Amino acid sequence: MRCGGRAARPAWTGCWWGEDVVKPAPFRYLRPTSLDEALDALATLGDEAKPIAGGQSLVPMLNFRLARPGVLIDLGRIPALTGVHRTDGSLRIGAMTRQRVLELDQDIADRLPVLRAALRHVGHVQIRTRGTIGGSLAHADAAAELPALALALDATVEVASVAGTRTVAAADLFLGPWTTCLAPDELLTRVDVPLAWQRAAIVELARRHGDFALAGVVGARRPATTDDAGIRLVGFGVGWTPVRLTEAEAALAAGGSAEVVADAAAAGIDPIDDIHADAAWRRDGLRALVTRIADQLGVAA
Amino acid sequence: MSGGAATAGLVADPRPRREDPRLLTGQGSYVADVRLPGMLEAAFVRSPLAHARIRAVDTDAARAAPGVIAVLTGADLSDVEPFPDLRERTRPVRQRALCIDRVRYVGAPLAVVVAEDRYLAEDAAELVDADLEELPVVADMDAALAPGAPLLYDDWPDDRIVATAPVDPELDAIFETHQVVRGTYRMQRHTAMPMETRGVVATVERGRLLVWTSTQVPHVVRTVIARTLGLPEHRIRVVAGDVGGGFGSKLHVYPEEVVIPALAWRLRRPVRWIEDRREHFLASSHARHQRHDLEAAVDERGDIVAVRGDLVCDVGSGEILPPGVAPAFVSAGSITGPYRFPRSQARLTCVVTNKTPSGAYRGFGTPEIVFALERLLERVARETGQDPVELRRRHLIRPEDLPYETPNGRRIDSGSHLEAFERAVAWAETTRERLAPTARGSIGVGYANYIEGVSPNYHATSGLWAQQETSTLRIEPDGTVVVASGLGPMGQGTETMLATLASQLLGVPHDQVEVRLGDTDLSPYGLGSFGSRSTVVAAGAVQLAAGRLLDKVRTIAGHLLEASATDIELVDGRARVVGSPDRSVGLAEVAHLAYFRTFDLPPGTEPGLEATGAYEQPGVDHRPNAQGKLNICLTYANSTHACVVDVDRATGVVRLLAHLAVHDAGLLLNPQVVDGQIMGGVAQGIGGALYEQLLHDADGQPLVTSFMDYLVPGAPEVPELTIDHLSTPSTTTPFGLKGAGEAGATGVPAAIANAVCDALRDTGIDITQTPITPSSIRAALRATPDPTTTEGS
Ligand SMILES: Cc1cc2nc3c(=O)[nH]c(=O)nc-3n(C[C@H](O)[C@H](O)[C@H](O)COP(=O)(O)OP(=O)(O)OC[C@H]3O[C@@H](n4cnc5c(N)ncnc54)[C@H](O)[C@@H]3O)c2cc1C
Repeated sequence: MRCGGRAARPAWTGCWWGEDVVKPAPFRYLRPTSLDEALDALATLGDEAKPIAGGQSLVPMLNFRLARPGVLIDLGRIPALTGVHRTDGSLRIGAMTRQRVLELDQDIADRLPVLRAALRHVGHVQIRTRGTIGGSLAHADAAAELPALALALDATVEVASVAGTRTVAAADLFLGPWTTCLAPDELLTRVDVPLAWQRAAIVELARRHGDFALAGVVGARRPATTDDAGIRLVGFGVGWTPVRLTEAEAALAAGGSAEVVADAAAAGIDPIDDIHADAAWRRDGLRALVTRIADQLGVAA
Repeated sequence: MSGGAATAGLVADPRPRREDPRLLTGQGSYVADVRLPGMLEAAFVRSPLAHARIRAVDTDAARAAPGVIAVLTGADLSDVEPFPDLRERTRPVRQRALCIDRVRYVGAPLAVVVAEDRYLAEDAAELVDADLEELPVVADMDAALAPGAPLLYDDWPDDRIVATAPVDPELDAIFETHQVVRGTYRMQRHTAMPMETRGVVATVERGRLLVWTSTQVPHVVRTVIARTLGLPEHRIRVVAGDVGGGFGSKLHVYPEEVVIPALAWRLRRPVRWIEDRREHFLASSHARHQRHDLEAAVDERGDIVAVRGDLVCDVGSGEILPPGVAPAFVSAGSITGPYRFPRSQARLTCVVTNKTPSGAYRGFGTPEIVFALERLLERVARETGQDPVELRRRHLIRPEDLPYETPNGRRIDSGSHLEAFERAVAWAETTRERLAPTARGSIGVGYANYIEGVSPNYHATSGLWAQQETSTLRIEPDGTVVVASGLGPMGQGTETMLATLASQLLGVPHDQVEVRLGDTDLSPYGLGSFGSRSTVVAAGAVQLAAGRLLDKVRTIAGHLLEASATDIELVDGRARVVGSPDRSVGLAEVAHLAYFRTFDLPPGTEPGLEATGAYEQPGVDHRPNAQGKLNICLTYANSTHACVVDVDRATGVVRLLAHLAVHDAGLLLNPQVVDGQIMGGVAQGIGGALYEQLLHDADGQPLVTSFMDYLVPGAPEVPELTIDHLSTPSTTTPFGLKGAGEAGATGVPAAIANAVCDALRDTGIDITQTPITPSSIRAALRATPDPTTTEGS
């Protein structure tokens, strides 16, 4: 069986996408069974290597030969990266936990229903069955649901390299389209999501069922503190990264009408133009979505 | 188990498709399933530029790459003849299987690499170094029409591959003296996008070329291979196997269908090429890229007395066989639709541009003109203060008008044009009421009326092939009936259809019939499947063959039963004496005489049990007459589509709530199969109306080359669909049959556009272009003060 170009053979023992279907440029393939092994490989190989999680974004790029890593490091057999650790205040989700596993987790649905709601917008069941939460965050698509959710819920991620681990707030993670602050030798190992949110909701508009959002909004609310009104509005698909709509949050906190909040949101973005929607539409779409979510959060004036 | 007696007629037989168990359980056999010992794989090097002169193609590094067997450029294949330019009055493109001196679109084949496997071939293909001298790009139809536009073909005076300029001073006078309503309507470039991409496997077997290809026209492919490679046809065998969708895109013969056989012939080894999806976007035909300037002349009663149009079609580079101009001729010829407009005129200009060649796609030019005409009717209604439903009603062909000849010579023999519309109106009114409570935005209803030409004379399109179809029927020694036909099915249930025809026309049980298709060694020369023709022409051919075969069965059975041949009938596979059903013999007994105890045959009877029927359609023109009139099809099915939509004004999102297709295809041989055709067609129509587009930038670079950007509708995008069959037999076809392959797709863009405008009628928004997207609706709403939102605030 041939799976990944000439040099790929040695380490392959299985091939999930069947025989003869893919045509990436040659690469070497490693499948470490521990985090240390993976981090060592990354440290040695640097830029030349790329981790592969669910492959739902990376494999198409390999097949188009848009990504040409010399070595693929498969994270699929590292037990430490999978599973959910539950505490009263947070969920700690291993980076390699499959999106579908999270979607079907009833406890999560009870405690953080917005996560299931968000996942239902991610592609189709087949894609979520392979796609991982860490892969989605590391891939950092500006139209993806999970990065926006992480930003809205003040999630943090744990990042590891041979040099040690660090914690990065979602607000610092996304630098640009498909770009995070991770160094080439770092792995995203865990996502910590606080459960302090009383209400949270996600709404989006996509061309077809299962498509990436043309525009989307995550809204969340928790009790105000002295320095935080406890309201989050994050737009996705409307800029180069998920964006916090801070003016709209402030307008909402100040008891502004849904229309005022929506206008503040639309004014606060610098939307992109692409073949699926123009920038003017993205403002309109965002305005409509913010109006809806203001209702769902129960804070509309 | 039905079978019944051979009858003068045919009856509906709504049985499940016999090919489905095979196709649905993975037992089908597509080109990609062909595996031969020692098979090599090919990868094509394709032009990265939209327009360039080829200075040199350096293949040295690729040849030296691991596993590479051969690398060929256009120059290496210069002994392969160009594709023939057969169509009259179309400028020649002299298409080369591999480009020799010029590339005219991104994706044009420059070279081919053959290696031990596809990976190695792809790796080596990257090493081929083409030295291309960039030429100015003609990116769209306006650029092509501009004076002094860069030329794609240096020996042409301009970029018009076809230009017709009918002159009619009387018509001009009519337009000068009447109220004129005009509009410009555009349909975007999109295409068939079958689930199975193309693919070719070729090998040499005992001195003959054996070619598997995913095509709708196996014999036509054989002829083109013969002419380009200079081989006699008998030394070529083309096999289509199962074809995973074609929708017109596979009625063209493509460069790879010549190059891969040429490679197998040279290398004397099997060679395989399977198109990947990205290649499909670049290298398989595009379609539907047209702009129509339409005008209607309206008299003081509000009646339309004439329509005329200036139609422009962007056919891409034009390097395709048969030429991509043909659908545009059908658009022009369909300018009056099913309406009694006394006069019409269509000027047609087809231009070449630096994009993938365009060609056939389900509907073949009809969806474009139906969209334009049905939108124009709405505008006429508005500008003359009429109810659009009433306007249509008054102009539709009525039963008493039939047979009806359109001003440009289409002879419409039969149909239910007005009744289909009335049914749609009744449905739409109740459906709108039923669904109104579920609407989240503004609800609207839209209609489209049209006729769909069935079984065209292909000569006007191809310049060579015309309209015959041939079937052979053979009774084997065990009594099995084998039908062989040159049709090229692509998933539409043709095997079931042929078995049903043979079963009913001979009088044998359905499961006693075997079908042979898609193999030029097993089938008589046929033109393949396109133009909603298969059932109609097959019925003509099988009818003839069955009549001849029955005569022989009667003679032999009469001899066995000591009765007169004229007293024998074949019922359920048994030949029996009319009036005494207990005196009968089975087909196997008849065959026993015909093949084995030939000495017992009645004197003068030839051994064997086989007959061939070749059907030539009556009354169909192969070229326009002196007045430019052309009746290009054997008959015309009619249809009305209606849909109910819900438009969210804040976001411009259109939700399709319900869709109706009233469809009249005459006698329905298998209503279930027709339903399937309509459902699939409607889904494709929705794709064209709302989602699918093949965009290019100003340099002719394609912006859409994967399913991430080319949005084909899935099940969630298809609404509740109602299919309402009317059944007006044709007077010109065998058994009154009409085709049903294409019509499902044709009316959808027009109906949806009309419904969206109806939902937004208070704004006066007038959609003139597909696809209708959230952005396009919002842009229109932003440009028009929205009464609803202004009220609300
Ligand atoms: C048809 C289709 C539709 C889709 N629709 C949507 C949608 O609507 N919304 C949406 O959000 N997504 C969508 N996706 C993408 C999908 O959600 C992917 O699963 C996700 O974007 C990436 O996750 P993955 O586990 O597959 O990562 P991979 O594809 O394996 O990797 C993606 C990238 O992240 C890097 N990476 C992965 N894991 C790590 C890690 N732990 N540490 C560091 N780097 C890492 C990889 O090196 C690679 O660069 C769609 C995909 C497809 C094919």
